[in-house]
Amino acid sequence: MGYNARRGPTGSLEVAAVRGFLFRVARRLVAALVMIWAVATFTFFLIRLMPGDPVLAKMVELEQTGMPEEQAKAQVSSMYGFIPHDPLPVQYVHYLWQLCHFDLGVSIAYSGQPVTTIIWSALPYTLGLVLTGIIVTFIFGVIGGVFAAIKRDSWIGGSLSIVGSILHGVPQFMVAVLLVYFLAALHPIFPIGAPYDITISPGLNLHFLSNVAWHAVLPIAAFVISGFGFWALAMKGSVVTTLGDDFILASELRGIKPSIRFRYIARNAFLPLFTYLAIAIGYSFGGAIFIEKIFDYPGLGNLLNNSLASYDYPVMQAAFLMITVAVIISNIVAEVLYTFIDPRIRTGIS
Amino acid sequence: MATSAAPRGAQTGNACAIRDLTVVYRVEGKEYPAVREVDLDVVAGEITAVIGESGSGKTTLAMAMLNAVQPPGRIASGSIEYPEVGDVLTLHGRALQRVRGDYVSMVFQTSQNSLNPLTRIGAQVMDLARSHGHRDKRAVLKEAAALCRQMSLDPDRVLTAYQHELSGGMRQRVGIMLALVLGPRLVLLDEPTTALDVLSQSEVLQILRDLQRERQFSALLITHDMGVVAELADRVAVMYAGRVVERGRTPLVLTNPQHPYTRSLIQSIPRLTGDLDEVRPLPGLPPSLTTIPRQGCVFRDRCRYHPAIADTQEPAMQSTEPDHWFACHLGGKLDD
Repeated sequence: MGYNARRGPTGSLEVAAVRGFLFRVARRLVAALVMIWAVATFTFFLIRLMPGDPVLAKMVELEQTGMPEEQAKAQVSSMYGFIPHDPLPVQYVHYLWQLCHFDLGVSIAYSGQPVTTIIWSALPYTLGLVLTGIIVTFIFGVIGGVFAAIKRDSWIGGSLSIVGSILHGVPQFMVAVLLVYFLAALHPIFPIGAPYDITISPGLNLHFLSNVAWHAVLPIAAFVISGFGFWALAMKGSVVTTLGDDFILASELRGIKPSIRFRYIARNAFLPLFTYLAIAIGYSFGGAIFIEKIFDYPGLGNLLNNSLASYDYPVMQAAFLMITVAVIISNIVAEVLYTFIDPRIRTGIS
Repeated sequence: MATSAAPRGAQTGNACAIRDLTVVYRVEGKEYPAVREVDLDVVAGEITAVIGESGSGKTTLAMAMLNAVQPPGRIASGSIEYPEVGDVLTLHGRALQRVRGDYVSMVFQTSQNSLNPLTRIGAQVMDLARSHGHRDKRAVLKEAAALCRQMSLDPDRVLTAYQHELSGGMRQRVGIMLALVLGPRLVLLDEPTTALDVLSQSEVLQILRDLQRERQFSALLITHDMGVVAELADRVAVMYAGRVVERGRTPLVLTNPQHPYTRSLIQSIPRLTGDLDEVRPLPGLPPSLTTIPRQGCVFRDRCRYHPAIADTQEPAMQSTEPDHWFACHLGGKLDD
């Protein structure tokens, strides 16, 4: 027979589907670039609307050592990579030009250090925290939700839903503060304040990695505890909805065996959650700002906090930008993956 | 069983014998019968229609035949015997799962929504084969393709398609294919044409007639359309408020209805070439589940005759000619 029931037809239809898919990815990428530009512009001007001027402060500091104004200006300009007190539009064009070359400027607080270096050293910690947090939360939440849906008429399902609602209602930073208080301060079980022990030299070995993981337990736990409720409730709702779908009853009446029916339910209930996942990743990067601050964990969020305190414009801009880019990328990835798990989107191009 | 899809040839006897079936639904703590003391046979190799208004218990009857009455419903009493299988109401678990699809299958009213949206049609055929322990899945797939061709569907396209790529009429035909692919002896057709446009309706009816003639399966056809009964059914049972009020060979029932309700149903159909004034609508509404009279005749409140005895006594099934039964105090003496 000329077809394969699992894989589908081969030939022109498939080629058209692939072309349509690539076209949509390309369109998303262009949209992403526009969004990144918009956010870069927005943060650039927003930050400059804040009161206070660190460059002026530095110049005054240099002038007070007896340096002539011209020389102080030249020194500051060479330190920071831009001429202070240029008109804003000029600074803006300069900033965009640098951005196109992946040059994020030089930090003000850590004098002379390129912002890219600072960002690169902080990014892995945040990525590790957010992605591990999301995945662990997702797995626990989905399992809890399925359980709550199947056992929804018993006390186990009921209490799972109540616990989910309560956890969903408690703010993330509250959870973080409680964790720090009970598990780091009152009973110092878990370490905080550093991504790994000072005595250990970084490297790609099990000893170092397990130490990093140990230090990340509390911040990740904060993500998981505060995120679990949402996923459990969302998954429960989705499973209950799917169980009520006509085709699930139809498959039972056709005599489809329970294991296959469970697969039908799981896949169909899982789909809507996938949409939330992309949104949740964005929220988690936002949440990282609080969580890293509370655990004093050296990721992007902490970097952003510190740069805010020290008027470190370039770092601030870069941190905002990185968070934006992370959200946009995760959205694109989610959409691409979605086309693989939902045939209605995969083939709905023509 | 190899493919079990070949026509079984003419069968004799009953494909299904329903005895004293009562199905109740729980509403606000009280149980009300949706199907009450129903006796019904599906004669092997024939199409038996069950006709009635919404809420008369037809779909509940079909669900009971699959032992799949959904809560808050419950089968209170009775038996549904299938030859070689026994009473389906005593089955559960794996045995019940096997009977569904293998011996008795169903074509759903909402076949539009009866398919898994994330799986290709062919894969759903395979899931069916796997669920029923068919070793030779290719043979089942071949049978599915043959059924598709018979219903003028292109199997190469349909079996590799997802539900959303098919039209409503195509999905209904896929539903029929899935119901027949394992070669069941009894097929329950739950208003198979209700959700379709007029053109697809006549197509699907034609398909069902052809398939039934060729494969000789027995069928229970649930409908509220007298036209469908006249076109397809060998026998018909008229249901009202959970009871079978008249049953018999279709020509007998349609040309010589003995129960006032059946008579009203037939008189309420406008003729294509007749005077519209001859159409007599049946006044009133059928009782809802909670307002069905507990004693006496269930139809008396809408009955033009309403004899006094109907208030207290329930009419028994009686017969004035072979193959034709009805439950009415008037004994078929309807003067008009």
